[in-house]
Amino acid sequence: MSHAATITAPIGDPIASNEPATREKLEEIFGDLKAHPLFDHELYGCLNCGICTATCPAAHYYDFSPREIVQLLVTENLEGIYDAMQEKIWACAQCYTCAARCPFHNSPGGLIMLMRETAIKHGMQSAKDVLKPFTRVLMKLITTGNQLAPNMITPDAFADWGPNVARIKAPLNILRKAIPMPTMHTTDTAWEVNIKTSIELYTIWEETGVLQQLETIDPNLFDVVSDLMDEKRDEYQEWLDDQDD
Amino acid sequence: MASQDEKQGSAYTGFGSEWRPVKLSAEDARTATSWVEKRIDKREMLTGKERVEDVREVMWELEKDGEIVVHRISEQHDPVIGKTLYGWDKRIPTQQLWHHKSCGQCGNIPGYPSSLLWLQNQMGIRYLDETDQTSCTAWNYHGSGIGNIVSLAAVFLRNFHQAYVSSVSQGLPPGYYYPLVHCGTSFGNYKEVRHYLLHSAELREQVKKILGKLGRLVDGKLLIPEEIVHYSEWLHVMRSRIQEHQVIDVSNIRATVHPACHVHKMVPEDVLYDDTVMDGNRVAVSTGLLQTLGAQVIDYSTWYDCCGFGFRHIIGEREFTRSFAIDRKLKVVSEEAHSDVMIGHDTGCITTLDKSQWIGKAVDKVYPVSVMSDAQFAALACGAHPYKLAQLHWHASPFEGLLEKMGIDWQKAQAEFEAYLKDVADGRIETLYDPKRAITSGPGYVKPTQIEAKA
Repeated sequence: MSHAATITAPIGDPIASNEPATREKLEEIFGDLKAHPLFDHELYGCLNCGICTATCPAAHYYDFSPREIVQLLVTENLEGIYDAMQEKIWACAQCYTCAARCPFHNSPGGLIMLMRETAIKHGMQSAKDVLKPFTRVLMKLITTGNQLAPNMITPDAFADWGPNVARIKAPLNILRKAIPMPTMHTTDTAWEVNIKTSIELYTIWEETGVLQQLETIDPNLFDVVSDLMDEKRDEYQEWLDDQDD
Repeated sequence: MASQDEKQGSAYTGFGSEWRPVKLSAEDARTATSWVEKRIDKREMLTGKERVEDVREVMWELEKDGEIVVHRISEQHDPVIGKTLYGWDKRIPTQQLWHHKSCGQCGNIPGYPSSLLWLQNQMGIRYLDETDQTSCTAWNYHGSGIGNIVSLAAVFLRNFHQAYVSSVSQGLPPGYYYPLVHCGTSFGNYKEVRHYLLHSAELREQVKKILGKLGRLVDGKLLIPEEIVHYSEWLHVMRSRIQEHQVIDVSNIRATVHPACHVHKMVPEDVLYDDTVMDGNRVAVSTGLLQTLGAQVIDYSTWYDCCGFGFRHIIGEREFTRSFAIDRKLKVVSEEAHSDVMIGHDTGCITTLDKSQWIGKAVDKVYPVSVMSDAQFAALACGAHPYKLAQLHWHASPFEGLLEKMGIDWQKAQAEFEAYLKDVADGRIETLYDPKRAITSGPGYVKPTQIEAKA
């Protein structure tokens, strides 16, 4: 890391409002990345051939290159990694075309995920900003295990989808009941979820640190979710108690 | 990793602002592009690699060592063998299937799973569609970064354990139903997670503690499925039997296929290829089915590109999603392939390609083409009602012209559906199976003897 060791001033974008990072912070972030259990599965080396970037959909529209991301990690360019974690990593479309093509078996898309996880762990403001539109999805996911619900798809939220999605004029609940699969007669989840299922899933979130991630990125959402799941647990326990009686 | 000596003064220092474009001449750029394209078209980018292992060998070793239990595909599941990228066998169960639903399909393309179940009803396939399942949670993970390998692995094993024990609720032995995964992202994610699980004792230990707490171990061990099977693989191996039910001639239909990235680029060694389908140079699913049904499958230059879904982008940055979908996919299948219908086999792709068309009017990029899943197209060819069963009214792309070309009177069908909605409002609802079967435990569960008595 000799090329980086000469930097003594905090690292940061001179025109951004983000706090600059100290040298210790940069090392801590890179340490977390390298210690990630998947890091060695996703990065084997790099020929700098650029096949990953040539095929990358995000590279068509953003200042983003999977080759650059891999190079930053291979060369352990701490300030470059930190800089990429501010914005570039969120451009990736997660298609894994890069991984399928890389002659070295690298997975640039997989490395991006490790960087996103790390950005969240460190509560980076950029991650918080980028994930604001995800609030409803996260709420649905944590409390039900579904990630999308019919009543989330409103004309206001998806105006660019046009008027044809409402070809048949009828209330949403009637249209849903007209689907011939009974599990899908729902409007606030994609399918009816067993209460036991959502409680089991919540236990997984608790045991795997996902709730900590949520609390770091959106404390208000964490509070709402916690209250809701406490109520669900009470409700299920009451049902279990009734069975014993 | 490069050593210090290798880094200093070498080409590896070229990144960020120091990176310089190669400034290829137009001719050299064409040569480079054509070199890559030729290899993609002949799938060399996938097969020309070393160090590819069949992770199922690791799985069998772990079972032999008593570390895991494998949910086997046995004769009761009437398996059909498909060939994967390297010619390895993959056993696809065709009977007694546990439907592992997709939240995106169920949320906004409901005709996708209902067409699949309808086809299975036509062929007398026994299955279970139940409420005790979560999504794979991977759409959110890939979009937001919330989640991690341990949570993804725990969700995978919990859902597949439930598939294993679900039959007990019906008085049947465990393992009776075999999971059939609907979503392409779930399919890719579960296969990646399986790889990590089989290679990491530490991960297995972490997840085992959680699964134990949930009561989701078998004989105190983790349960791993013999194969992770996508519904499109089921359609592929069943395509000749599906054809026996075909009632509509589709030989005049020009179809293009969008191969889903998470289906064929994630863990590519596990993907079905068939020498009789595009000479084995394209993923076999969907294309093989369409060819068997007699449709004209038209190849196009950007077949390898993703759709633009982006996971995060479809929620928060749709200008990327729709730009990519229009410029790289819809424009090409429309102008180059003159496609009547674009067929997909994954949730996000169909959502993106279907819902990104109308906005093109704002920039004079109007490329109308019907978009639907292989399951819906096959169901239509077999006579499924376009609204009641294929549920096409949830689609934004123009499907009416396609139906007319198939000889289906969509106006009559629409009127029938609107009349049916009045029945629905009055509580007269038609379903593909007995709703009581959908609840296998907890509130609302009805024991099988009680179901039979009431039936």
